[in-house]
Amino acid sequence: MNSEIVGASVRRVGGQERVTGRYRFVGDLRLEGMLHVKLVGLDCAHARVDAVQADAARSLPGVHAVVTENDLPRPMPRFGPVHHDRPILTTGYTTYHGEPVAAVVAETEELAAHAAQLVRVDYTELPSVTTVAAALDPTSPLVQDPDRRSGALAFTNVLSESRFGWGDEPGAAELVVDEAYVFPMVTHFAIEPHTFLAAPDHDGVQVWSAVQHPFALQQVLAELLGLPLAKVRVHAPDPGGAFGGKQHAKFEPLLALIAQRLSRPVRLELSLEETFQAVRRTMFEIRLRSGFFRDGRFAFQDAECNALLGAYADIGPRVVSKSTYLMCGPYRVPSARIHVRALLSHTPPATAFRGFGTPQVVWALESQLDEAARRLGIDRLEIRLRNLAGPGEEFMRGGKPADGDWGISLRRAAEEVRWSEPLPSGRGRGVAVGIKASATTGASYAIVRLHVDGSATVLSGTSDMGQGARTVLAQIAGQELGVDVLRVRVVMGDTALVPFDLQTSASRSTVFMGSAVRAACQDIHRQLVEMAAATFQLSADQVSVTGGLVQLPSRKLSFAELLAEAFAGVGGEVIGIGSRRGEHVGTHPLGGPPAFYEFSATACEVAVDDETGELTILKHISVADVGRAINPAQVESQDEGAAIMGLGHTLMEHLLFDKRGAVRNLGALDYRIPTTKDLPLALQSLLTENGDGPGPYGAKGAGEGGLFAVAPAVASAVAEATGAVVRDLPLTPERIWRALQDTKDPSDA
Amino acid sequence: MSSHRVTLDINGEPHSLDVTATQTLLDALRWQLDLTGTKKCCAEGECGACTVLLDGLAVNSCLVLATELHGASVTTIEGIGTPSSLSRLQDAFLAEGAVQCGFCIPGMVMAAHALLADQPHPDAATIRDRLSGNLCRCAGYPRILRAVQLASSQADE
Amino acid sequence: MAMLAEPRYHSPEVLDEVFTDLEHFGPSGLPFAGGTDVVVGLRKGKLAPRVMVDLKRVADLAQGIEVNDTWLRIGALTTLSRLVAHPDVRSHFPALVEAANTVGSIQIRNRATLAGNICNASPAADTAPALLAYHARIALVSRHGIRQMPVADFVLGPRRTALRAGEVVNGIDLPLDGGVAGSSFTRLTRRRGVDLATVSVCAVVDRRGTHIAYGAVAPRPFVLTDNAGVLADPHADPAARKALLTGFAAHASPISDLRGSREYRQAMVITCSERALQTAITRRHRP
Repeated sequence: MNSEIVGASVRRVGGQERVTGRYRFVGDLRLEGMLHVKLVGLDCAHARVDAVQADAARSLPGVHAVVTENDLPRPMPRFGPVHHDRPILTTGYTTYHGEPVAAVVAETEELAAHAAQLVRVDYTELPSVTTVAAALDPTSPLVQDPDRRSGALAFTNVLSESRFGWGDEPGAAELVVDEAYVFPMVTHFAIEPHTFLAAPDHDGVQVWSAVQHPFALQQVLAELLGLPLAKVRVHAPDPGGAFGGKQHAKFEPLLALIAQRLSRPVRLELSLEETFQAVRRTMFEIRLRSGFFRDGRFAFQDAECNALLGAYADIGPRVVSKSTYLMCGPYRVPSARIHVRALLSHTPPATAFRGFGTPQVVWALESQLDEAARRLGIDRLEIRLRNLAGPGEEFMRGGKPADGDWGISLRRAAEEVRWSEPLPSGRGRGVAVGIKASATTGASYAIVRLHVDGSATVLSGTSDMGQGARTVLAQIAGQELGVDVLRVRVVMGDTALVPFDLQTSASRSTVFMGSAVRAACQDIHRQLVEMAAATFQLSADQVSVTGGLVQLPSRKLSFAELLAEAFAGVGGEVIGIGSRRGEHVGTHPLGGPPAFYEFSATACEVAVDDETGELTILKHISVADVGRAINPAQVESQDEGAAIMGLGHTLMEHLLFDKRGAVRNLGALDYRIPTTKDLPLALQSLLTENGDGPGPYGAKGAGEGGLFAVAPAVASAVAEATGAVVRDLPLTPERIWRALQDTKDPSDA
Repeated sequence: MSSHRVTLDINGEPHSLDVTATQTLLDALRWQLDLTGTKKCCAEGECGACTVLLDGLAVNSCLVLATELHGASVTTIEGIGTPSSLSRLQDAFLAEGAVQCGFCIPGMVMAAHALLADQPHPDAATIRDRLSGNLCRCAGYPRILRAVQLASSQADE
Repeated sequence: MAMLAEPRYHSPEVLDEVFTDLEHFGPSGLPFAGGTDVVVGLRKGKLAPRVMVDLKRVADLAQGIEVNDTWLRIGALTTLSRLVAHPDVRSHFPALVEAANTVGSIQIRNRATLAGNICNASPAADTAPALLAYHARIALVSRHGIRQMPVADFVLGPRRTALRAGEVVNGIDLPLDGGVAGSSFTRLTRRRGVDLATVSVCAVVDRRGTHIAYGAVAPRPFVLTDNAGVLADPHADPAARKALLTGFAAHASPISDLRGSREYRQAMVITCSERALQTAITRRHRP
């Protein structure tokens, strides 16, 4: 009766609370006796802090404390998901614009903000490093103290460096294309500001944060505070947009320490400007030297990738290593040499951001393929099809073979924009693909409680940040337990209630947590079989569970009917436990093979105003290979959203810095993201469902792919429309106009 | 701090608030009245998350001072519908799958509500224009636009 | 450091009280109407008045939009959304409607006033080029009475106007006797949704000549007029027309900022003026 729950576009679980404003996001929570925190930063990136004069602020009635490094443990505790390099508050120096020097604690938000303006910081401004070139320059100042680093790179701004490759030295190639591509810093701009609360909790601490990885935050806090995990309770209400920016600890450690010190609950809400200074995407400069045979096949690929991280590593090194792992994309490349550097700079810490480095790498690779196609006179679709790995083919030497028939998605995208039909002048089409190595290692556990009336509660440590995990997990439980989604509760976001989940990232939740929930339901099925056998004095092999019903030799029972019978006079529930683990593989460059590849194809048609450089996207097609869509409407909306977010970094977004390392476009007025009026005139998301994923019902992860290949597809279309090739993002009207001037110059001469 | 007493109507009920001269309507709603459905993001009128109706017109509550509102009538998202009794527009948002993280949605609903009150049957370009002051970073825009169209098509002629 | 005083808020009901406030507080008195720029200024600490004088309840300030044979008067408290909805404004001054519709979002336009957009004196104010090209005059009221001047003379530079101490805007008058035949506003932005202009241009073709006004390309908006009929003549030599517009564009002195470089703006001044002019001419021939 419920066989259609999986695969149905059921309404979003939690939707009613959101359309009525009743859902309490973290910023909407109020704790009794709560104080408010405001951070104090400087208006430049790199400075030596000479003195913090806080008496004026401290003397204001209602100000409880002005916390500086002197109020915190020595040496300053540091944390971070890769290196423990980020201090709770900066010590002696600031290393990026806005890095907090002090924290004011006051009765109200308004008073804290006012008092923060009264804190005088005496400082000496120092030269800053905000570009790849400066980070590589041996005469530049060092971003991190060499005493806290080790190895040969400690006295450089290179945080990590790696070289890998395969195949023979390059032989004869018909064509060598040597070009450089730039993908700028962009910021997440979740509409929900980052907000943190902390409160003392007897012999422990409670923290509230819209964090994607509550268990990772719990670990960080337990280590920093010297508490057992059981005494650190992290509440993680559903984030109001995260996109990677809310994966790792930010100011929760500071808040927890202040709460302990003052024995009061405290709250910090970052302004949008402060959020821009807290999280951003990794910036890449990639130089590719690619060899091609006459027929367009790759002969070799030489890549030099310089990724500009911020002042602290955050998860940046993993972003860099994971994305450049697929520097050759989904293509057969017989010979490759990849040289990768992750660089420190005096800029806000680069963290995970939807795609996790993939859009950056794809921008370079796909643009390079277009360049080769143009020079070889080969159709841009054709050159991709000639290089694309077939199903089961080991395209990444030593890596997981292709787990999809990717040519299907690529051809669909091209067909939908009528690739081979002629175009009027001033118009162009582009097509590009992107691939990401998904989640590799990590464990997800789920508990499912089947209640006596047949309804169910799912306990899961996944975060629903808009991707719809609650709905998908409810659908899986509903499918397996024969219960309507409306009768399933999904409990998330409280480390004291739900079992461990490593993280909500890398499009892993449907595959990892979805599998865990399904396994927990199957555990319930086993228990129901035993229970039915015992209740009706049958042997276990006379009982089976299918389609949400218990099948006895003589009749069928619903689960509720069985439980009513079995629990009569006693009460009870059936508790199922499930898990899914991706084991760590020490010999694998990523620590383990990806569970699946997320593959996406984008095609578009554009019109370019050759006088102003303005671009109109007439049609935008996004095709996602998702294995199986548990909730097609949700998958499509994720894919559409990713495509539009991709148009942001393609057309308009970039963080700009002044000579002092300060962000010039700090805030919504000067940092532009797409609005309803910036949409393509037609936008369509198509799903390729071959049931070939490792998740429940053949699902793969989804939700990031739609933005992988937007930039190269649009740039390719612009090049076809105008002859102008742009290799720096974003493709602002001015950049296109300048490129058009360059293409016109020769004819003027 | 000097405070001003303001008497105004919020969601059909009279309220008296003591506010400072620079306190915004947004902060008064969120902190004095615990009407947290109205969201704060950019605080400079660029994102629309704080949209409410002021005397029937959509405004950014972050750009309105509470002191200005003596005698005014304000409608917030809490005055539009409840989880068990959604407005037609709110139901349309769910029917079209227009909600992702949901943080921008109260502001979107308010802006769309104001539009449909003003023009029950707007064309697609008008909907795009009238919602262009509301940012959605999940970029659920295509479905949000469809939801407004759906609600419009269900409106009484 | 002394604590910054929280400003006071006054909401006078007659002009006399406004003048008293402004006399008493001098430059520390901040008159405002829609508040959409003022509230941001307060939050960012760019404005720190001692008293905020809310003009919205001042009964003897010009209200609404009035029309007579020769003028259309837009009262100081008229919001942009009321302005663009007014049938006479729509029929006589379509470029002003186009310009006003680009100011912020509907939420902004429901609060912001035309007078405020001009008093804010941003070089990129969208309505300014339209008002200049239509030869709008601004009426300023003080204890000493009312004085009028062209809007072109009122805006002096970034955040600077000719408003004197003790004065507030009463209204903005647009002449109906200009015999406006065709007009158009165009602009260039970084994105299509709500944005500040990189370049904005308004072209008005009337019986006195062709007036082209420019925004965001100089410290203040400016207007230039062709009385020779070259620009208005659809059959004029395109080279002559281009030369004239290029000459006009030489009056621009754009800067490089986050929205665009000097070079790009300089080039777009010509492109935008050609386009605005073309549309204005087309509209002139429409019945």
